[in-house]
Amino acid sequence: MEGDNPAQRAIALLRRRLCNPNYIFSLLSDSPDSNYSKLKFIISNSVTETCNNSILLLGPRGCGKIAVLELVLKDLQVEHPDMISVVRLNGLLHSDDTCALKEIARQLCLEHQLLFSKMASSDDNAQFMIAMLRECGLAHKTIIIVLDEFDLFTQGKQRLLYSLLDAMQSVTSQAVVIGVSCRLDADQLLEKRVRSRFSHRKLLFLPPSNRDVQRLLEDILLLPTDSKFPNDYVTEFNARLHNILGDQQFIEILTTLSNTDPSVNYLLRFIFQAVCYMDLETGFLSLENFKNAISSIQRQPKIESLQDCSVLELYILVCMRRQEVKEQTSYNFNSVMKEYKSIHDSFQTSDYYAHNVCLRAFEHLLQRELICFTDNRVHSQSVEFRPVKLLISAQELHQGLKLNCSCPVILQKLMDRES
Amino acid sequence: MGKEGTPQITKRTTRSSSSTADSSNAIATKTVNAPRPPSIISDLTFGEEPMSLDALLSSFPGRRLQVLELLQLIGPLNSPMFPLFIYGGASTGKSSVVLQVFKHLNRPFVYSSCRTCYSPRILFESMLNQLLLHRRNAGNGYSSMKRCERPADFVNFLREALTDVVNNLKEPIKKASSKELLKPGHGRMIYLIFDHLELIQEWDKSSGIILLLFNLFDILKMSEVGLIFISNVSPDAYYSNTGHVEPIPVYFPDYTEDNLCQIFMRNQANPKLFSSFLDVVLRPFCRMTRRVDELSAAFPLLFKKYCEPLSDLGLAPTEDMKRKLFSHLQPHIAPSLNEIFRVQYESRVDVKAKEKVRRKGNIRKLGIEDALDEIDFHMSISAKYLLISAFLASRNPATLDAALFDSMGGSDNRKRKRKASQTSMEKKENTENELLMRGPGTFPLERLLAIFQCLTSVGEGSLEEGQREDGGVMAEDGDVGLMSDVLLQLSTLCNANFIMKGGTCPLEGSTRYRSTVSEEMALKVARSLRFPLSKYLYRR
Amino acid sequence: MAPSAIPDSPSPPTVSDNEENNLQQFFVLHKALPRKSSRKVSGPGKTRRKIDLSPASPKSEGKSGANHVEEEDDCYYEQLRVEAFNAVWSEIETKIKDVLREINISAFDEVHRWVCECFSTIKSSGTPEAVRPYPLVTDINCKQIFTALVLTKNIEFVDDLLTFEELGLHLKSKGCHVANLSSLDFSAKNGIGGCLRSLLRQLVMVSLDAPDIAVLASWYSEQENYNNPSVVIIGDMERCSGSVLAEFILMLREWVVKIPIILVMGVATTIDAPRNLLPSNALKHLCPFKFSLGSPYERMDAIVEAVLLKTCFGFNVGHKVVFFLRNYFQRQDGTVTSFIKAFKIACAKHFSTEPLSFLCRDLLNDDSEGFWSEKCALLPEVMLKNAFSFPSCQRCKMTEGTSENLASGLFELKKLQKNWSSVVLCLHEVGKFQKMHLLDIVCEALDPATYNKNASDNHLGIGNGFSKSSPSDCCLHAGQYSGKSKGGIISQVVRRVRDLPVALLSQLLNIWRKHTKGISEIHDKVKELQSMLKFEDNGKSLKQDSKDTPKRPSSRGTMNMEDKKTVNEKSATLMEYMIVNYLQPIECIPFHEIICFKNVELLQSALIGDPRRTVQVDLLKSHNFLQCSCCSRSGNVLLPSMHDTSIMYTLAQEHGDLINLHDWFQSFKEILLGPSTKGKHKMKQSPLSKKRKDRDEPHDISEASIQARFCRAVTELQITGLLRMPSKRRPDYVQRVAFGL
Repeated sequence: MEGDNPAQRAIALLRRRLCNPNYIFSLLSDSPDSNYSKLKFIISNSVTETCNNSILLLGPRGCGKIAVLELVLKDLQVEHPDMISVVRLNGLLHSDDTCALKEIARQLCLEHQLLFSKMASSDDNAQFMIAMLRECGLAHKTIIIVLDEFDLFTQGKQRLLYSLLDAMQSVTSQAVVIGVSCRLDADQLLEKRVRSRFSHRKLLFLPPSNRDVQRLLEDILLLPTDSKFPNDYVTEFNARLHNILGDQQFIEILTTLSNTDPSVNYLLRFIFQAVCYMDLETGFLSLENFKNAISSIQRQPKIESLQDCSVLELYILVCMRRQEVKEQTSYNFNSVMKEYKSIHDSFQTSDYYAHNVCLRAFEHLLQRELICFTDNRVHSQSVEFRPVKLLISAQELHQGLKLNCSCPVILQKLMDRES
Repeated sequence: MGKEGTPQITKRTTRSSSSTADSSNAIATKTVNAPRPPSIISDLTFGEEPMSLDALLSSFPGRRLQVLELLQLIGPLNSPMFPLFIYGGASTGKSSVVLQVFKHLNRPFVYSSCRTCYSPRILFESMLNQLLLHRRNAGNGYSSMKRCERPADFVNFLREALTDVVNNLKEPIKKASSKELLKPGHGRMIYLIFDHLELIQEWDKSSGIILLLFNLFDILKMSEVGLIFISNVSPDAYYSNTGHVEPIPVYFPDYTEDNLCQIFMRNQANPKLFSSFLDVVLRPFCRMTRRVDELSAAFPLLFKKYCEPLSDLGLAPTEDMKRKLFSHLQPHIAPSLNEIFRVQYESRVDVKAKEKVRRKGNIRKLGIEDALDEIDFHMSISAKYLLISAFLASRNPATLDAALFDSMGGSDNRKRKRKASQTSMEKKENTENELLMRGPGTFPLERLLAIFQCLTSVGEGSLEEGQREDGGVMAEDGDVGLMSDVLLQLSTLCNANFIMKGGTCPLEGSTRYRSTVSEEMALKVARSLRFPLSKYLYRR
Repeated sequence: MAPSAIPDSPSPPTVSDNEENNLQQFFVLHKALPRKSSRKVSGPGKTRRKIDLSPASPKSEGKSGANHVEEEDDCYYEQLRVEAFNAVWSEIETKIKDVLREINISAFDEVHRWVCECFSTIKSSGTPEAVRPYPLVTDINCKQIFTALVLTKNIEFVDDLLTFEELGLHLKSKGCHVANLSSLDFSAKNGIGGCLRSLLRQLVMVSLDAPDIAVLASWYSEQENYNNPSVVIIGDMERCSGSVLAEFILMLREWVVKIPIILVMGVATTIDAPRNLLPSNALKHLCPFKFSLGSPYERMDAIVEAVLLKTCFGFNVGHKVVFFLRNYFQRQDGTVTSFIKAFKIACAKHFSTEPLSFLCRDLLNDDSEGFWSEKCALLPEVMLKNAFSFPSCQRCKMTEGTSENLASGLFELKKLQKNWSSVVLCLHEVGKFQKMHLLDIVCEALDPATYNKNASDNHLGIGNGFSKSSPSDCCLHAGQYSGKSKGGIISQVVRRVRDLPVALLSQLLNIWRKHTKGISEIHDKVKELQSMLKFEDNGKSLKQDSKDTPKRPSSRGTMNMEDKKTVNEKSATLMEYMIVNYLQPIECIPFHEIICFKNVELLQSALIGDPRRTVQVDLLKSHNFLQCSCCSRSGNVLLPSMHDTSIMYTLAQEHGDLINLHDWFQSFKEILLGPSTKGKHKMKQSPLSKKRKDRDEPHDISEASIQARFCRAVTELQITGLLRMPSKRRPDYVQRVAFGL
């Protein structure tokens, strides 16, 4: 299967590139003033000069903080073999201290071929960590502790951070603590005693500039000429690609994209989708692919689910809307039903359904998350009596009604009247 | 629908060709009778012949676009992928499309639904069990392979498990049997499918698990792992303040009317007849709901009705026959539109009862006989009185009790009414809305008992007259009896959901009750006691 | 109390129910229920105890002064009575059990048949590999869960607990896997985990700390389990927490067909109870079928028929008792269980109080006059005297109290009883046409007042003279009779007989013929009537055959109208005749005291415990229970030696329904400290008990201890539901919540 069709291989290659962050960010990180070189400089210093250090890598999601860090660590491990041992923690997993200490101990054990006992108490683990720090310090070996989702570690007592940073105060130890967070105020979250022990070196990761994006696109999407791909195919492919990249529409697409989310990751996903949509027959990327991609990556769930609504559900939504227009402070299913009945009485609509059917439609709306209860007391009362509210604006409702092909005219009228 | 042969229509809910069904059954029976030795290929893929693309597409009418998009996003063999987020309304074929796609691709995957795995621990363990090819049985006491509650442990275990699964996949020598070796193209990827993701939000408000799952791809950093999330609700429902890497959304819209028509028409015994039936039925129902499962629950009975006049179901209906059938069906459509819960009758007695109802001419409720005038279950008289007094207590304002129950509150009551009607219009409206909002009011136990005593003292009169001549014992036993273990009756009513109990701790005594009985129910009960309920009911 | 209480007292459900929704307000009163019921049930236990340490009945007490011979053969007879009780009651109990089973069995079979059908339906949609975690994608017929809604027709669930257990056993015996869940497993507290846990415990027989339905799947896919349906019975659906139940259903829905689980839910109220309980998304997965059990009235009638009419167990109850039982059934709790319980109490009381009751046992098995005479010959004088001192036989002047008379009397008694019951059965047959309850008929039939009226009207002696009144001339008396008690059920019945269509009438006569086998005279009459009816039918058919001009039909119509009338009339007359002559309430028969229990007050006090009142009363005079020497002879004066709680409560009586805590405490304190002097010389009289020693030296009751005791007492009162703790608004006041007293 593999290898027969160049188009397929091309796709596979592109996808492999896209899904491999190291590749992507190695592209970005060659310039001397890039975060990569800064970070590498800092860490290698603290490795070579055997000193303690602590850094914060800040920046919005998907700007390759971790990726760059990984790159740096990889290179350093090559440059200084067995002088570095890395411990990676993630705020999502190890936000509570005992768990974190355990994990640290586990990784250290793994690193140094010690056997790790699950039974060990958190105190033991803490002792062990400090001991290891000292040992490694004596052995001139740097322990690099990476704390991903750093802000999550700052919740609660911050015992872990304190004990870490405190241990690092002693001259013997030799460690680098690297906090990674997408909250720019991460260092403000630290307690005083922790912050005082924390060196306020920060690296800010920013989304790529347009030039970078252009470069990135080319680097990712262009097929290598010197490969097992048939030559003419590659040239053809790249030629078409250049056309697309030059195209004005494409530029617009990129701008809209970066307006929603300028981060690299978002861009990658966009490209990924475009690549996936590539037509296997022709085997070349087309502008259409990118258009589809942008349309499918920028969705409007509310409008979509509004279009899915059945007529009855639309009726209920409109009734609720009318309730809100009437400045009803709060209303529930019963009052909506009253409204529904009044509409039916005044306009003699064809679809007037029994109470339980309406209730079912109501529950559908709840499931669609177009409406929700305003109270969160679950078992307080039966559904009919709990106050509800719309989760969509009047405009959205308008638009939805317009787009919904099965929407009866009367509802549109009602909406227009009240607006 | 059990008796009269399973409905032709529910078949359509899973849209998949019967051929595959047979093969799967064959294999299934085999495996059931003799469980195979665990091997990655046999356990993590559908062990069957991969179904062709055409079969796949034809088995999902109205889902062509989605299937193709999925195939594109999952991509060719051994191509890594970003996490997918598949969302859309209930019963739009998300799960089955994904599963069938994997049947088509015939690649190893792990599925776990957050409905069945109702807690983090069970979710983790079921995942691991599948990855580690662990089968629960009497031998191992139905315990799972690893005990794992913390996300941290889960990630570690998962990483281990995934790595050696992937390694096994990489070198085909390891594969269990040569037969599987011949069968190419399981690829090196392994896919994790999480279904019913929306349920996780209810587990813990601190949406830790959700974030974990969404970030799992970046945490694992394994390009051989593909993540697929299936959810009923749209991505923006999962908003979290520090945000997360958004997976690639794939949207499954609800079926359109034509799609539904195709779906229901699939392998139908007599297509012509059924299509004519659908022409009649589908449109009105679609105005109400377009969910396949709800429709397929509603149609079979109707179709039976529709076919009743026909002698043989084989022949295609002519125009006038259609007309005849339609006119026959006409009266039944509206009721089944307005009924969401049909009870069918098993025992002869009930059938007879139903007949009676029918003859009374209200076919309005198919099958449900609550149109009968008397309550069809036994309730002790004191319970009835208690029910009524609870009903009054939560309908009437507490201030009126004195007026209503002084001696024989009829006239006074009427006076009140007039006053109420004099109150200005918008005030009335407010009170109405308020009533709508609050629903039946709550009341403390004491008030209930007070009213109860009044009612019984009134009601005894009507109750006793039959037995007056039977001497004092009975007369006096009336009151004492009714009053004595009234609280037991109260608990009985609570258990029957006729009265709801406030949550507060009873020792403070501040428990408040609320009657949830519908008015007609209360009236029925009153009628059975010959009790003039309406006279005591305060109308706003 | 008596462990014998536990099995048939409704306590287990109620108590556990409390545990479920933690401490309802009527907590204590609920707890009071088992105590009450066990008091009922331990009736026999109590009596036995009484019997062992004899003097039980006033009569024996009277004789207790007499010589030893009587003493011990008195004991001997006590013994006999106990045995008699055991024998009779066991008979009755088994009988009742059979009857109830009879009633249910048909419904059970229906359910089972249905289960089999469902299972085959499910199986017909293929046998997928159950262990796979993903739902079925292959083509299957039904994705809904078959659900039986079993209407128990009774808002009280006590009776049905047993019923559903039996249903479970029944299905098990037919080879289904059965799990009997109750609403406790569906509590919101334990959530879905709780119900899965108990499901697994019952089906798979494992208990995991993280129950998972996948386990069930893999269990089911094992060889030995594979080909049987698995049924989940939820006895009391209404009481489940809707959300949990819904979740359970949705979960089952994911495994539908892989685990062919069939739900059986007991519905106490109306058929659309599930609709009110469950959200629509769970509801749409159910494929409900409706079954119904016998209504409590049917059960009741069956039991009454079996116990009071069909067979003479030698134990019977008087009119008032039956009436009370009926009212209790109608008003208090319409549970058959409580009815049976009441009946048992009555039985026990009867045997414990009535010295001659040991004769009943023999009524049970043997009836030949000879047997009786020798039996009675053995009786000592005293017994005979008792027998003839019964008011009943004084009423009908039986002067010489010989054993023969007694024997014949008993024999007569039994015969009359037979007649009576057969007549009542006939009445019931008619009553069935208009849905009368047997219990009501029995009530009226037992009423001596009515009977005596009639008797006096058409001057009939009781013993003699059925012969005297032939049905022909009796009809007018009967007319009077039916005139007498208007609105009485029996007269309604008679009226009903008058205008009964022919078909019904003939079938009625058939049944009568069966019932009246015992009474030759009536039997013949019935035969006669039937023949008349037959003849008339033939005549009619003849008329139909003979072709005639279209003018005459009207006359013909009237004609057979009227001869039909005549038959109806005749049968009605016969009915009345039976009523007048054979419907002789047991209380009008000599010696009925031996087998008949009439003391309704006893029963009442036992059944309607009115726990709340009793709690208060007992508190007010506590020393009746803890009969300590110290405060025995204190009238109403409060002594420090009394139990704190009772002191407190008595003090509380003085306050309104708001009690100032401080005053209360003060008065309590001075009760404790006050009568130290009195305490002194009381100690001189009575041997010192440690308890009171520290009581009477005031100084060694510290303030603290008093406060402690005060607090404990208050809490006890609060827990008994007589007090309400201080509210936020008035922290220094407690409120009395005392009603019903």
